[in-house]
Amino acid sequence: MEPLPLKQKLNLPSLPSLRATWQWLRQNLLSTWYNILLTIFCLWVIVWVGGGLTHWAIALAQWQVVTDNLRLILVGRYPVEQLWRLWLVLGLMVGVKTFSWGTLQSWQRKHLLRVALVGVGAILLALVSQADGTSLGWVGAIALVALGSSSLATWCRQQALWPRLQPWLPLGWLVSAGLILWLISGGAGLTPVSTTFWNGLLLTVLVATLSIVLSFPLGVLLALGRRSSLPILRGLSIGYIELVRGLPLIGILFMAQVMFPLLLPPQITLDALARAIAGLTLFSAAYLAETVRGGLQSLPTGQWEAAKALGFSTPLTLGLIILPQALRAVIPAIVGQFIGLFKDTALLSIVGLVELTGIARSITAQPEYLGRYAEVYLVLGLIYWVFCYGMSLASRRLEHRFSDR
Amino acid sequence: MTDLLEATSDPTLPPMITAHNIQKWYGSFQVLKGVDLEVSPQEVVVLMGPSGSGKSTLIRTLNGLETHEQGRIVIDGVELTQNPKHLEAVRREVGMVFQQFNLFPHLTVLQNITLAPIWVKRLPKLAAQEKALQLLERVGILEQAQKYPGQLSGGQQQRVAIARALAMEPKIMLFDEPTSALDPEMIKEVLDVMRSLAESGMTMIIVTHEVGFAREVAHRILLMDGGQVVEQATPEEFFTNPKEERSRQFLAQILG
Ligand SMILES: Nc1ncnc2c1ncn2[C@@H]1O[C@H](COP(=O)(O)OP(=O)(O)OP(=O)(O)O)[C@@H](O)[C@H]1O
Ligand SMILES: [Mg+2]
Repeated sequence: MEPLPLKQKLNLPSLPSLRATWQWLRQNLLSTWYNILLTIFCLWVIVWVGGGLTHWAIALAQWQVVTDNLRLILVGRYPVEQLWRLWLVLGLMVGVKTFSWGTLQSWQRKHLLRVALVGVGAILLALVSQADGTSLGWVGAIALVALGSSSLATWCRQQALWPRLQPWLPLGWLVSAGLILWLISGGAGLTPVSTTFWNGLLLTVLVATLSIVLSFPLGVLLALGRRSSLPILRGLSIGYIELVRGLPLIGILFMAQVMFPLLLPPQITLDALARAIAGLTLFSAAYLAETVRGGLQSLPTGQWEAAKALGFSTPLTLGLIILPQALRAVIPAIVGQFIGLFKDTALLSIVGLVELTGIARSITAQPEYLGRYAEVYLVLGLIYWVFCYGMSLASRRLEHRFSDR
Repeated sequence: MTDLLEATSDPTLPPMITAHNIQKWYGSFQVLKGVDLEVSPQEVVVLMGPSGSGKSTLIRTLNGLETHEQGRIVIDGVELTQNPKHLEAVRREVGMVFQQFNLFPHLTVLQNITLAPIWVKRLPKLAAQEKALQLLERVGILEQAQKYPGQLSGGQQQRVAIARALAMEPKIMLFDEPTSALDPEMIKEVLDVMRSLAESGMTMIIVTHEVGFAREVAHRILLMDGGQVVEQATPEEFFTNPKEERSRQFLAQILG
């Protein structure tokens, strides 16, 4: 047998030859005179904008405003001596995520790049934050957690009992969500930390996650209510959806701050954070309901009839046959709305909650960093983008997963 | 054939289906104008009639997919009411196969078949799967068990739909033009399955335009027109010597 060339043995992608590259350029960028003009114009824009930005970032920008305030941006005024709790939260999140992911699919070489990117990012952040060596220590510990939980997942998957245990995974998520909330807020043995000290990215992620998780079931229920055959239920759902969709979010947030205390009995006091989450949830649910309704309407009535003819009750028909298909059909739209919701949390800074945008405003208001808007807001934009792009990727992966059915 | 009809209409056995004076309106339009129907156990009844005569509407009222405004329906001794619990109980006894198959596209063939036995009949998963595989073998597509409906041909999908209905072990099977959406070369495979089902003694009501099949399998043929049953006869009589003028017109049309 012929020995394979080294390149093939290592399974490296072969580099395109110079000739092939030139061919590609000719075909795609330089095919006609206006295509050539367009290519030149685009190149010029890229060089001009990119060059200007690079020059500014290296020569003019003073990044100290970001590095000095990194902790503020990430966790706000959360007490420094309690920061270990947030590290634990992060570790817990990473552990649960790698475990769940690991039980679904096996490790492949292509995942290495993603892991490396996250790792480098984390180390850079830890270095930049400059606090002391502890950050780096925590990052290392969390990396170990990730490694451990993914190996544990692999081991679990090989056990005979695993198929019986897997359905309990969501319960694990619920428990860890409770743990996370307890770690952040304290009480029951931990020093309580008032919600006014939860700021920055911590607050943004917390509010967005809770609003997303709460508004999803509410939106589905509203969509079902709107399609219900019971007139009162249908009327109420339509009324709610149309009312909320006719109001601006900022108005709803203000109202949530003043109205809830008026509506609720005096024994129950919701703090500003809970009121804001309630406002966002109620707002987002109305839009979600319309999206889900679209998914429900896209199903042929034959699906209902087939289910009924087999003796399924209405709840079972919804849960097993209608909703799985309807939701699948509208994944991109739903994720789009969640991305919108994530960014809408920026409005909370107007009702006095100091999330990412709010903390940026207070940083730029400090006298020693006066006028350093560009640096702060650029980093801010980058953070928002990373999260939104992450959601976008997740949506694409979900769609892809269902595409063959 | 006449003997067969007599043999299946044993008066000592209570009828499987009794429908008396069924009337139904869509708004001011009366679709069913007082239909009477009695089907004995193991009997195969074929419904024929021109488009819009109310065939689909009639068999869909028999398992409560359509409501009727007047008349009574009794399925195997249980009266059909609007009470959801009764309806679900009756539907467990009555399987239905649709023109458009109506398989659940997000589930595999095996899951399509086991879903109702597991969730409605509370059968253990393994038992349901075993039963499903037997049924798939019976309809001749055992090797497709792990595929999704979208990956199958029309004829295969319809056979899965039949297996799905049979998995509930119904006493009655309703077919609404099961071969009308199929390419000609797939019609036979579905009719073969239905034929063997009839031979096994299943009580069946079939809406179809397949004359050859009806002639061979039916014990009785009903001709519907304008929401009424115009003629009932054995296939032999119906196709060779129909009594009603309307039946003659209809036969002239479909036989060309
Ligand atoms: N949902 C509905 N609303 C109003 N009219 C209807 C509805 N469904 C059916 N109809 C009418 O009722 C009549 C009977 O319909 P049905 O579907 O029972 O006829 P069919 O005999 O099955 O015809 P085909 O051979 O075309 O399937 C038709 O005139 C039809 O237009
Ligand atoms: Mg019809």
